[in-house]
Amino acid sequence: MSSEGSEISGACLCGAVTFAGRLTSEPVGACHCSQCRRWSGHFWAGAELRDPAIEGEPLRWFRSSEDAERGFCAACGSSLFWRETGSRRTVVSAGAITPPTGLRLEGHIYVADKGDYYDIADGLPQQAQSRRRVAPAAFAAPSG
Amino acid sequence: MTIRGDLDDIAACHCSQCRRWSGHVWAAVPVPDDRLEVEGAEHVRWFKSSDKAERGFCGTCGSSIFWRAFGRGETDVAVGCIEPPTGLRLQRHIWVGDKGDYYDIADGAPQEDRQ
Ligand SMILES: [Zn+2]
Ligand SMILES: [Zn+2]
Ligand SMILES: [Zn+2]
Repeated sequence: MSSEGSEISGACLCGAVTFAGRLTSEPVGACHCSQCRRWSGHFWAGAELRDPAIEGEPLRWFRSSEDAERGFCAACGSSLFWRETGSRRTVVSAGAITPPTGLRLEGHIYVADKGDYYDIADGLPQQAQSRRRVAPAAFAAPSG
Repeated sequence: MTIRGDLDDIAACHCSQCRRWSGHVWAAVPVPDDRLEVEGAEHVRWFKSSDKAERGFCGTCGSSIFWRAFGRGETDVAVGCIEPPTGLRLQRHIWVGDKGDYYDIADGAPQEDRQ
C-alpha cells in the first residue's frame, strides 16, 4: 500500500526542519545497507516523495556517495532525507512522518548488508540489494 | 569510537523521539563512560532532547550515535555504528507503547511498553 499521490508531512525532532509532499509509487521500504545503518543508528525506513517542500535553516546535506546525498538537521541531528543528486524524488524518513502516517512498510532492501545483531521476521519481501525496478548506479555498491 | 569490555542489554527504542531522530527505530547499547573512548569528538554535537537527556550526532554527516541521561555515568551507543562483526544480539524492544503505526515488531524479542 504505497498510497501513491497521498500527501504526507513531517518534521525533525527539534521541529526546525519540516517537509511535505506527495508519495510516488515506490514502496515504503526499510534499508539495511551499511550506510543507512550507521546513519540511523539501527536501520532506516523511508517513503519517496516527488518534489517535496523542505524547509528549515538547520538542514544540511552530506554527500554519502558519488550519486547520492543525505539530509539531516544540524540542530538536533535527525536523519531525514536521501536523494540521488539532481533527482526530483526524495526519500524521507518514515519515523519523521507525522502520525497517523497511513502507511505500511512493504519490504526490506539491501538485506545482504544487514546488521548481524538482529533478525528480520515480519514476513515482508526482502531484496538482497535495491528495491528499485531499474537499479540506478548509486545502488550498485553500498559502502560504509 | 572504541568500547572496552563486554556489552549487555541491547535494546531497540520505539519512542517517538528516537523514531524522529533515527528515521525509523533506534537500537543502542549502554556503555559506562570509563569504557567508551570517542575519537573525532570535536565533530559530535549534542542536542538536549529533554530535561533529563541529550543526544549526540555527527555534525558532518548527521549520524545518530549517542544518547545519555545527565549524571548517570553511561552513554547509549547506536548499535548500527558499531563495527561488525558486533557479536551482539538485540535483546528487547522498549517504548513499544509509542511505536510507529507503519510497521510490526515480529522478531520474538521481549517487548516493553516503556523501558
Ligand atoms: Zn531538528
Ligand atoms: Zn540504505
Ligand atoms: Zn527512545
